[in-house]
Amino acid sequence: MNTTRSLQDLIKPFRDWYKNRHSYAETWKENHSQQVIGMMCTYVPEEILYAAGMLPVRILGGHEPQDVTEAHIFGMFCPFSRDALAQGLKGKYSYVDSIVLSHSCLHFRQTFTSWKMHLPLKWSYYLPMPNQVQSPYAKQEFQSEVKKFKEFIEKEIGKTITAEALKQGTSLMDKNRSLLRKIYELRKKENPPITGADAVYMAVTSQFISKEDHNTALEALLEKANEFTPSRETGVRLMTIGSENDDVQFFEMVESLPATIVCDEQCAGSRYFWNPTIDAGDPIQTIANRYVDRPPCPTKDYPERKRFPHILNLAKEYGVQGVILMQEKFCDPHEADNPALKRFLEENGIPTLTLEFDSTNPLGPLKIRVEAFLETLSAEELFS
Amino acid sequence: MILDFPQLISQWETLPVHVFTAHEKGEILTIGAGTASGAVSGAIQGTASGAVTEHWKWPEQSNVDLSMDWKKAARITAGIDVGSVSSQAVVLLDGKLYAWSSVRTGSSSPDSALKALNQALKNTDLTLEKIPYVVGTGYGRVNVPFAKKTITEIACHARGANYMGGGTIRTILDMGGQDCKAIHCDEKGKVTNFLMNDKCAAGTGRGMEVLADLLRIPIQEIGPLSLKVEEEPPPVSSVCVVFAKTEAIGLLKSGWPVEKVLASYCLAMAERVTALLNRIGVEKDFFITGGIAKNIGVVKRIERILGISALNSALDSQIAGALGAALFANALLEKEERGKS
Repeated sequence: MNTTRSLQDLIKPFRDWYKNRHSYAETWKENHSQQVIGMMCTYVPEEILYAAGMLPVRILGGHEPQDVTEAHIFGMFCPFSRDALAQGLKGKYSYVDSIVLSHSCLHFRQTFTSWKMHLPLKWSYYLPMPNQVQSPYAKQEFQSEVKKFKEFIEKEIGKTITAEALKQGTSLMDKNRSLLRKIYELRKKENPPITGADAVYMAVTSQFISKEDHNTALEALLEKANEFTPSRETGVRLMTIGSENDDVQFFEMVESLPATIVCDEQCAGSRYFWNPTIDAGDPIQTIANRYVDRPPCPTKDYPERKRFPHILNLAKEYGVQGVILMQEKFCDPHEADNPALKRFLEENGIPTLTLEFDSTNPLGPLKIRVEAFLETLSAEELFS
Repeated sequence: MILDFPQLISQWETLPVHVFTAHEKGEILTIGAGTASGAVSGAIQGTASGAVTEHWKWPEQSNVDLSMDWKKAARITAGIDVGSVSSQAVVLLDGKLYAWSSVRTGSSSPDSALKALNQALKNTDLTLEKIPYVVGTGYGRVNVPFAKKTITEIACHARGANYMGGGTIRTILDMGGQDCKAIHCDEKGKVTNFLMNDKCAAGTGRGMEVLADLLRIPIQEIGPLSLKVEEEPPPVSSVCVVFAKTEAIGLLKSGWPVEKVLASYCLAMAERVTALLNRIGVEKDFFITGGIAKNIGVVKRIERILGISALNSALDSQIAGALGAALFANALLEKEERGKS
């Protein structure tokens, strides 16, 4: 019992940050007198912003009903792009000084454009990130863009970002990546001490909490991690695959059935932190290479679908028994991949369940689908 | 004659609403704006004697096999399926069907579950306390207080269909009150794959009930009537319960006979569920469960579109879920007993 309580104590900071993200950023800003930058995609090279002493926070949705984006974003654009803009229009991100979008999908670009037009900002920056990351010129091209971005930031802060500062920014980011990987390692255990919902809290908060604070909380947890055994029935081992899916209520519902989400391939999860930088000599090139080489978003995964073998490796490493394909409504890049991905996984012996998600989700209808899916994976006792 | 209930709706009288009323042959008598009191009196149709006729109401049913003696049974189990529109109870003696019922779901799931079970047992001296294992399923499954375990209606319908139609069944279509499901199963009735309709209730049993009320046709007559068309009309453009109602009124007004409107609605419903079935693939043998399986107008059209016949069963299609739940209860009880010995 004591062990369980102390694990919950160590996870609590992440839950609190998830809920109180805005007050955290406001306090950070007061204490540091530096700019808070809204980042609109996980392809933004945050290393540069950390090197400049800024706090990058990812702009995310609120998973609440809203009625303020009708005039801004088409109805057939993804709910995430609307939900994120709604948070801005409703003043939740009023502490954000400036915004950066790295090129990825059209829907979120509309969020960026509308935000830029309608909300007060010091500056905004559109960072061209090649979609064809598989091109032999991608790294060279992105290096030049990251360099331009660094020079732009230097003008903003009125001083040079030194190579030393870049290295510090990079190593801070890498440390966070490596700690999150260690957290994910715990989930490989037969009885994972960390639930999928816990992991969502940790992975998502890493996108808007200062990496220094986040690293400290992760280290505190990892120090005691081996003492933990789950006090819950762990059930079937599941993996979730999707885009920006951070609706923790869904993960908690699935794990109550019971089941355990042991791994994910989502931009609100593993895709964000999976690979560290590899030193390429030039610090800018080092940063650029990392983003070109990271597990790709489906917008950038062509002509070859390199994401698929990565997903299969994860599924095997984590002993996954079934996959939930979380389809964000109208997210075309994922929707185009999912039929092929479903076939690919099933050909490799991994059953899948596809569910469609909006900003707010009815848990009842989702629950019956997940329960029935779990019954196809277990429930042998009913047929003996 | 149209009944008026001013005492019931006095507080609504000033609310502006749209009012549609139609007479038996489907001709529109009045369409226009009025007050809530007019809408309510239009919706509740009365007869000359003053008794209210609610055309959507399907008869509650129950049956018991009196040739069987529950006192001689080694294992008595039950399954309760609390659906969004109807609730069923099935009682098994040693895994064989003994008694069943199908009743309307009320506002409380526990009450509906008990009502279904009492209805099934009404001509017997068997009582709930003597049933050691009950499995709950359906929309209200978590609210069956006397159930030892809950299992999804997807698994239960597959298992029930396997009992009703045999081990050759591979594809099941369950057409329920507020959703429909396409299910694949193996020779034991274990689900291997399934698909549910999206989250709205378009093209389900509740929609059919709304249409029955609108056209003042008893719900059991909709299927046969819909087949009395010389030429199949195009389907209504939407099976959304709200839009289909509006469209049906428009079609009646433009001179369509009632059977043609019904044919059009049944076809739209059949097309919607066959699209669901085609996404998962249809393998022989094919079986339909749920209330809509009793609507020959929809079933015939599904069979025509798919080019495959659905297997028949002597048992009521609506009890498949409760039957599956009772069979699971039987397996679980047997396992418990094995564990003890």
